[in-house]
Amino acid sequence: MRPRSLLRYYGQNAVIWTFIPAFFFLIVCAFLSSILLEQYFLGLIAEAYPDADTANRDLLFAQMENVALGVLSTEDGVLQSLATDYAEFGNTIQRARGWLVILLSLSLAGFAYLKAMPQFRARESVEKVLGGLFLSSATIAILITVAIVASLLLEALRFFDVYPLWDFLTGLHWSPNIAVHADQVGFSGSFGMIPVLGGTLLITLIAMAVSVPVGLLSAIYMSEFAHPKLRNFFKPTLEILAGIPTVVYGFFAALTAAPFFRSIGLSLGLDVSSESALAAGAVMGVMIIPFISSLSDDVIRAVPRSLRDAALGLGATRSEMVIKVLLPAAFPGLVGAFLLAISRAIGETMIVVMAVGTAANLTFNPLESVTTVTVQIVGLLTGDTVFDSPKTLSAFALGIMLFVMTLGLNVAALTLSRRIAEKYE
Amino acid sequence: MEKYPNKMTVCDVSVHYGDKRALGGVSLDIPENQIIALIGASGCGKSTFLRCLNRMNDEISGCRVAGEILLDEQNIYAQNVDPVLMRARVGMVFQKPNPFPKSIFDNIAFGPRIHEITQSEAELKDIVHSALERVGMIDEVKNRLGDSAIGLSSGQQQRICIARAVAIAPEGVLMDEPCSALDPIATAKIEGLIEALAADYTIVIVTHSMQQAARISQRSAFFHLGELIEVDGTSKIFTSPNDPRTENYITGRFG
Ligand SMILES: Nc1ncnc2c1ncn2[C@@H]1O[C@H](COP(=O)(O)OP(=O)(O)OP(=O)(O)O)[C@@H](O)[C@H]1O
Ligand SMILES: [Mg+2]
Repeated sequence: MRPRSLLRYYGQNAVIWTFIPAFFFLIVCAFLSSILLEQYFLGLIAEAYPDADTANRDLLFAQMENVALGVLSTEDGVLQSLATDYAEFGNTIQRARGWLVILLSLSLAGFAYLKAMPQFRARESVEKVLGGLFLSSATIAILITVAIVASLLLEALRFFDVYPLWDFLTGLHWSPNIAVHADQVGFSGSFGMIPVLGGTLLITLIAMAVSVPVGLLSAIYMSEFAHPKLRNFFKPTLEILAGIPTVVYGFFAALTAAPFFRSIGLSLGLDVSSESALAAGAVMGVMIIPFISSLSDDVIRAVPRSLRDAALGLGATRSEMVIKVLLPAAFPGLVGAFLLAISRAIGETMIVVMAVGTAANLTFNPLESVTTVTVQIVGLLTGDTVFDSPKTLSAFALGIMLFVMTLGLNVAALTLSRRIAEKYE
Repeated sequence: MEKYPNKMTVCDVSVHYGDKRALGGVSLDIPENQIIALIGASGCGKSTFLRCLNRMNDEISGCRVAGEILLDEQNIYAQNVDPVLMRARVGMVFQKPNPFPKSIFDNIAFGPRIHEITQSEAELKDIVHSALERVGMIDEVKNRLGDSAIGLSSGQQQRICIARAVAIAPEGVLMDEPCSALDPIATAKIEGLIEALAADYTIVIVTHSMQQAARISQRSAFFHLGELIEVDGTSKIFTSPNDPRTENYITGRFG
């Protein structure tokens, strides 16, 4: 009988059976055995130190682990002997695990060997396993996203337990630092997000005012006017801008742009704050230029060649063609690109952390200093903080707001670019 | 046969894409108010030749054109000729209907607007209406001039494209397989339309359909591997061609 599949599929099938189940077994085993080991030794610790509470027992366990690893020495004889046992147990389990995996892998290899008969549909079987692998990778990515959002949401809900949602959304005053200590019962910090949101929007607006014209025009230049050789020089150069770490933009904003705007302001007789929204926004705009230009370039190039030919064939000049045909046709896609850029600007952190203040002024004057959602989150969660004070919890509430805004923008952008794709299929 | 004056004269034109020669030493007369068909196998350079006639090849990077093409005695490849203005005199209709994603009215008004043929809205309306009349569509679309041209059938779209080309009153119209994306009924309509247009315009049409060439053109030019093999009255080409290669192509022995 002729084999039902090409010979290589039998080989692939054998490889899959030999390695993949053993690999997953190893992961699960490592996970389970460490949990079991921990539970068992926590029990022993509870017996040995009857007066220790949960937190203390966890601490003792950590100490014991370190003693077992040899990074810590202890005078405590009980802990020392526990540590010795722990190390021994660990070794035994590890060794047993190793042998089990080898055994499993060998026996499954044997199984696959026996199964490799001409009537076995090896190709279908390999396809099925690979399909399953792809599916599980995709699922893992989605699950992780869901888990992150859920944990954000849970913490935010704890905040809204102690602070009314409505006040958070509409309050005009943001000063979280009044309630620093968790033991301040009946805290009086004020968490109105409007000034923070306003600062974010102001800086985003400035960034877009810088990046949209420059990015869009350079995209048009590159796709419609530049000689291919020039384009091959321009495009990578612009993309270098995208490769600069944001922290570099951050100190550029703080050390170069801010003093620059300040001195210009002074010479015009204007008082420009040294942490002005203008400086941070402008530098953020520069950061976003390559993002906008490369997205717009894609959108513009997606407009079919035939429309360009039609306009040029009617005696339109290149710029008439661009303005009257290309831009209107690409408009929805361009708006989509701008929305994506806005969502990037809103979520951008490093530049504003370095160049923007923390005082939440409610102002739309770009020369003053404002604060942004991301700056506040960083400020609230770094340094010495107690993790269940309203102050820290408010960071999660801000995080959810940020998430909702960027999600909305991204969905809108996606819908728009899908619309343009439908129009020209 | 009546003798027509030449609208365009092509003298020894060669075209290169990069280092590759696509067309070599083509010389051809294009008589006024007649239809001349360009035939030949795929890749022989018909579209390339057509694009030379209104300098659309300028838009293709790496494309070089040598030789002279006279339009009313003036070389369109001369230094002082503005290709943009030149294209307003010789319009083009493409293989795939390519209306702009705008209203029917704006499609046809596009040319008149960019060339500022008129300043008054009323006159613009007249221009659009008479262009639609020329292509026999006025009754089909006069109540929906504001609708998007993308929503029309492809036969209607192609006629809109022809109306768009004639709206700027060109002297010649170049057509690159204008019917190859259309069904037989739409094709018949466009063929009738092309014949009617020949009264006022000089028309150069590329086609893969021998029947189409025979039906509508007065002259035919046969291209083969980047060279013009022969050009003559259509009936002569289709009944007693001079060159065996022409005969082979027409009788379907190759290509
Ligand atoms: N933009 C271009 N870049 C490089 N080579 C090209 C380009 N356009 C056409 N060519 C080449 O020039 C030659 C002639 O092409 P052309 O499109 O004029 O043929 P055609 O006769 O119109 O064919 P078809 O009947 O298939 O439309 C072909 O060999 C083609 O590969
Ligand atoms: Mg062609």
